[in-house]
Amino acid sequence: MTEPTYDQPPLVTGDKSLDDVTRDICAPMERKPTGLWWAAFIASFSALVLGIVAVWYQLVTGIGTWGLNKTVGWGFDITNFVFWVGIGHAGTLISAVLFLFRQKWRTAVNRSAEAMTLFAVICAGVFPLIHMGRTWLAYWTLPYPNARGSLWVNFKSPLLWDVFAISTYLLVSAVFWYVGLIPDLATIRDRSTNKWRKRCARFLSLGWNGSARTWHRYETVYMLLAGLATPLVFSVHTIVSMDFATSVIPGWHTTIFPPYFVAGAIFSGLAMVLTLAIIARKTMRLEDYITKTHIERMCKLMLSMGCIVGLAYATEFFTAFYSGNGYEQFVFLNRALGPFAVAYWIMVSCNVFVPQLLWIKGVRRNLAAVFAIAIAVNVGMWFERFVIIVTSLHRDFLPTSWADYVPSLVEIATFIGSFGLFFTCFLIFCRIAPSIAIAEVKAAAELGNPKLPVSEERAA
Amino acid sequence: MGNRRQNDRRMNLANARAPQRPASNLEHMTAQQGVSRRQFLEATGFSLTLAMAGCGQAPTQTALPLPDQPAGLSPGIRQAFASTCGGCSAACGLLVSVQDGRPLKMEGLPEHPLSQGGLCAIGQAQTIELYDNLRLRDPLEQGQVTNWESVDRAMTENLANIRRDGGAVRFVTATITSPTLKGAIDEFLEGFSDGKHITCEQRSCSAILDAHLQSHGRRVVPRYLFEQADVIVSFGADFLGTWISPVEFTAGWRKRRVPTPESPVMSKHVQLEGRMSLTGTNADQRFLVAPDEYGNALSHLASRIMQQIGAAAIEPVEEPPVSEAVLDDLARQLTEARGSSLVLCDSQDTNIQLIVNAINQALGNYGQTIDLDQYSQQRQESDTDLLTLLDEIRNGTVAALFVAGNDLLHSLPKQFEASESLKHVPLVVSFAQRVDATASAAKYICPDHHPLESWLDAEPTRGVVSMQQPTIRPMGNTRSMLESLAAWQDRPTPAFDLLQQAWQQRAPAGDFQTHWERTVHDGLEPSRETDGGPSRTEYLAPTVELAPQQRVGEYVLELYSKVGMPDARHAHNPWLHELPDPVTKITWDNYVSVSPATAERLSLQEGDIVEISTADGANIALPAHVQIGQHDRVLAVALGYGAPGTDRFAGIGPDWLEAQPTVKPGELVGVNAADLIRAEQDTLRYVRSDVTLRRTGGRKDLAATQLHHRLEVPPMVAPPGAELRHPVQRTTLDAYANDPGAGAVSSHHLPEQQLWPEDHPKHGHWWGMIIDLNACTGCSACVVACQAENNIPVVGKDEVRRQREMHWMRIDRYYSGEGDDLLTAHQPMMCHHCDNAPCETVCPVLATTHSDEGINEQTYNRCVGTRYCANNCPYKVRRFNWFEYSRDSGVLNLALNPDVTVRSRGVMEKCTMCVQRIEAGRIASRRSGERISDGQVLTACQQSCPAQAITFGDRNDHESLVSQAWHDPRAYFVLEELNVRPSVGYLRQVKNRPGDDLGPQSEASHD
Repeated sequence: MTEPTYDQPPLVTGDKSLDDVTRDICAPMERKPTGLWWAAFIASFSALVLGIVAVWYQLVTGIGTWGLNKTVGWGFDITNFVFWVGIGHAGTLISAVLFLFRQKWRTAVNRSAEAMTLFAVICAGVFPLIHMGRTWLAYWTLPYPNARGSLWVNFKSPLLWDVFAISTYLLVSAVFWYVGLIPDLATIRDRSTNKWRKRCARFLSLGWNGSARTWHRYETVYMLLAGLATPLVFSVHTIVSMDFATSVIPGWHTTIFPPYFVAGAIFSGLAMVLTLAIIARKTMRLEDYITKTHIERMCKLMLSMGCIVGLAYATEFFTAFYSGNGYEQFVFLNRALGPFAVAYWIMVSCNVFVPQLLWIKGVRRNLAAVFAIAIAVNVGMWFERFVIIVTSLHRDFLPTSWADYVPSLVEIATFIGSFGLFFTCFLIFCRIAPSIAIAEVKAAAELGNPKLPVSEERAA
Repeated sequence: MGNRRQNDRRMNLANARAPQRPASNLEHMTAQQGVSRRQFLEATGFSLTLAMAGCGQAPTQTALPLPDQPAGLSPGIRQAFASTCGGCSAACGLLVSVQDGRPLKMEGLPEHPLSQGGLCAIGQAQTIELYDNLRLRDPLEQGQVTNWESVDRAMTENLANIRRDGGAVRFVTATITSPTLKGAIDEFLEGFSDGKHITCEQRSCSAILDAHLQSHGRRVVPRYLFEQADVIVSFGADFLGTWISPVEFTAGWRKRRVPTPESPVMSKHVQLEGRMSLTGTNADQRFLVAPDEYGNALSHLASRIMQQIGAAAIEPVEEPPVSEAVLDDLARQLTEARGSSLVLCDSQDTNIQLIVNAINQALGNYGQTIDLDQYSQQRQESDTDLLTLLDEIRNGTVAALFVAGNDLLHSLPKQFEASESLKHVPLVVSFAQRVDATASAAKYICPDHHPLESWLDAEPTRGVVSMQQPTIRPMGNTRSMLESLAAWQDRPTPAFDLLQQAWQQRAPAGDFQTHWERTVHDGLEPSRETDGGPSRTEYLAPTVELAPQQRVGEYVLELYSKVGMPDARHAHNPWLHELPDPVTKITWDNYVSVSPATAERLSLQEGDIVEISTADGANIALPAHVQIGQHDRVLAVALGYGAPGTDRFAGIGPDWLEAQPTVKPGELVGVNAADLIRAEQDTLRYVRSDVTLRRTGGRKDLAATQLHHRLEVPPMVAPPGAELRHPVQRTTLDAYANDPGAGAVSSHHLPEQQLWPEDHPKHGHWWGMIIDLNACTGCSACVVACQAENNIPVVGKDEVRRQREMHWMRIDRYYSGEGDDLLTAHQPMMCHHCDNAPCETVCPVLATTHSDEGINEQTYNRCVGTRYCANNCPYKVRRFNWFEYSRDSGVLNLALNPDVTVRSRGVMEKCTMCVQRIEAGRIASRRSGERISDGQVLTACQQSCPAQAITFGDRNDHESLVSQAWHDPRAYFVLEELNVRPSVGYLRQVKNRPGDDLGPQSEASHD
């Protein structure tokens, strides 16, 4: 037995035994909800109800209750859609890609990141549905055999590709998340004193018995699913970017969009994971499991993504200049100096300038600073989608059709409602499932790793 | 009465002008003998149609099926009836398209010698006024609903008393072009010892008539023949927009505006004006002259012309308002074009009009471009008469006042104290269709029919007599003015008989019945020799007294008529309110237009409320509009707004959380600016300089359909080399003469490479459209035509303000350049039916697809409303149903075209190239077995274009006009560089300006 060849801080601190790990992580589920949880839940649920009322009103009255017009046909709706899809990407990246790369630190956050993915994709999926003028006919976008003669869907339409991409993504994320939960569900089953909780956990843990064979099967399936989910990290947002890239509108019609969107998605997702992790470790007393080391590593990843996004912004400008296309050049000048310049500069500041602070180690380990930066990136990435969608549309080819866009109250309420949906789901998730993968974190913890000696002090 | 009405109805059916059925005399003969079985069934079927369509108050009788179809009347088959437009006094020819007993669409009568197939926006919008459920349905006595018998009884008694007492009877009308109605009024007035007929108009041109009385001894407006004019110099006269007879003038003007490579000539049109008029935007050259300087400028022009010609000089008294060079140039061009030039002015100063007459006389234009023999009767107003009448009313010497055609009280300033003094008139009778300001002061309101319900005739120009026939049974218990007058003379007679009697008297020799039926069928009396008489081009050489202008304030206010809403007569027409002004693009309001420099000086923003006060104490407050190309001193305000009852539109448009009412509580649509009118030297004046302007600090959002007005992109975001967009291409006449392809933007060419294989050949028809930007004046008739044809909803001011107007056809108006080089272009824009349509590829459910005839088709049923098609449309012509607009509004739904789907909430829509008309043409061609011939299918926009700027047809037919236009050297395509391959093209604008280029306009930028 040798010491690790490189100096790594421990992934679990506080001298936890395996039993401590189980108890600590299960504690938030087993004790009564705290006042803080209730406060958060009531706030989130209120936001959700607000959103439901807004969407109901819009469905009954018409899309006119949004601030859209003859020129700007998409606004908050598709901005929110792309925003939420992007959020989801970090979850898949952390759970699937980092798993394949054997990044053990992911264990602290992968469960909540996966849950976040799932809920973010649900939030995202709502918007394409409600943005339709006739939502009740949304099923027409599915290619199913029908009695309308030879009427089929349009396979050339990027919106149809979206339908496939998002539904696939939702399905794979949900399965991946569930499969990862199975050993922990067995733990809950074993620990549970509540009859119903025990029954549910027994059903959902699919007869897990902890045998070596079970573990072997489980790890094989998990590996395969990780392999399946990995391409989705790239494909889903690539397809989302094609909603824009295949159009003729200057500012949308851009070949850089697929990589640009994927980087942006991971960037925004990491920011959201950080936001949630920092809150969770504090409120759920999980400081020993989500350590500053984890936070710092995610900060590095976020910084690198931020730089890629910054490069993409610069490339867009250069391409517009280099293309010699007056319409294209106008769009970018108009973004930076036109009526929506404020949105543009919020985007650049939050996504490119602010994350540069993360080069400093002290900032990366300062939770308050990291939280602030993560929030800034979340804001900036929302504005990125807004800038791409609205500024490209509001002034395109014919100056006579140029228009403004101001979101309506209903749109804003719907946006708030999507956060309500997200956090309501997340808070419920914290109560009914372990927010950290117990089995995985045990494997990553020093004491659970048979390669590492039990520390001297502890033995003493 | 009832029987007779049915007879009337029979008449117009018997004279159906529809091609599928010739006029039949036989049926008419039977109709004369009472109610036939056929007639009964017809009336029943007609009533049934009305009843089924939800018209609660329509005359309903027992509903019976039609076992025997009345000849010529097939459900769902359109019939066209020739008639005369009653929208204004220009009296253009109409073809009323009637389906299932409902007049649905007004079209121009191609054979009409004046309007020549054109029809303006007002004419197009008549149907919506016909079906207005707030039109009076019964006569009113002191505001209470009554019946005709009691009105007639009371009136007979009243009139007998007046006859006995010898009281003064005054009859005030707008210009009446109908010889029969005018005769009836005269006859009615003859029964009194002191009877007089007074004609007045909201925006009078009385000075033109007065001046012609002095200069040529005939108090008329002459007929202006723009088609004969090589050089047109107009001082403020908006002859393409609102002045006298715009459709007729547009048709004439247009004839000289189309150069061809073989004959690269066109007329030269110079406009000198203070505000930005529609006519000014179409001029070759435009110079800014404040309207109080017209006399001054004209006197300078006159003195130069007289010098060159050697006539008696008119001496200018002031420094000219425009440069000497401009005046010299104008004088030279006019004298070179002696006998084929035209000088016009819309001033209400008789002296100024006398100078205009002197110039035209000196240039020999009378008898050439100005016809005083076959003069116009489209304007007959006399301000002198009106002012005398007001004195009489004030003095209490008027015993009875009859008002018809316009809202006297609304159109006169408060200072005239007309409404107070009207209380002293014992008997006021109004013929208004709605309770307007005058009618509410009237003892009796005897509502006249809508023109589409009436028998009448018209003689807009001497010798051009047209017929107005009813195309629907009166919807309410209204009565023709002809009938009312007859009833009050104790000989109640149906209008039809009165009209026929009058015609019998003036009929030419021969069989009257044949003559009559032919006239009703054609809508026009066959032209005959005019009554001869001496030709009145003799010049009486009146003296002109010119005094230097008294300039009181720093501003000069100009009250003008707005295109589409010239006076309050159409204030209840939602189509016209929502029609964007052709120049400002603002809907639903009037406003003060100020120049950008003045706005900057006063730090006025668009929509800031300003108060205009005059020296005599009148003041009005209304929002400001910053107008490019306006004189810095000029404040321009449209008359005809703020009509009583227009608060009815408060609730028009969708109702939702953030909706603002179209009309705020306590307000009306726009503000009545009539208080700013003044009278001087016996004419009403619309120009005054004794005004002050003050910001009130309030704001009122103006709903404009266009927010960016220039071809230049804003300088701050303009990429170097692409400062200008090129939807409009133009050149000068000189450059065109050298190279018919001049003005092309070099980089714009159709790429040869195709992304898609050419695997969809169009073997049958291939529809295409070409719009001549040199002919299009921007008059917006097509916009309303499209609205009427295609069931386009009215969405209200708030929705327009939110940039959600639903018009399928819009007219883009672009400015470019500055000062005297400011050029304006009007570009009709609708779906381009691209062969590589960006909208088609992005729809996930295939709701928008391409037909094998080249039409981009929108399947409303299939649309789920993702709006990606609209986002991806480079022309931004797609319109989304943000709300359910087609709310049941009862009788108004009768105006819906049954051949066009009414769209529901959440679906996309756009121009279909009037696919329902193409289908009708196809059905006809299948029956005849012949291919659809060129011109057989006309789109709604094309049919009524007064300038005939739109050509539509089959591109696969190489002989068709559209195929020829496609290969015209002037043809180009907007956004051609995108390779969307549009089916709509444009012909380049050619300006008759000196030089080979148009400054920055011709510079190519996309390299």
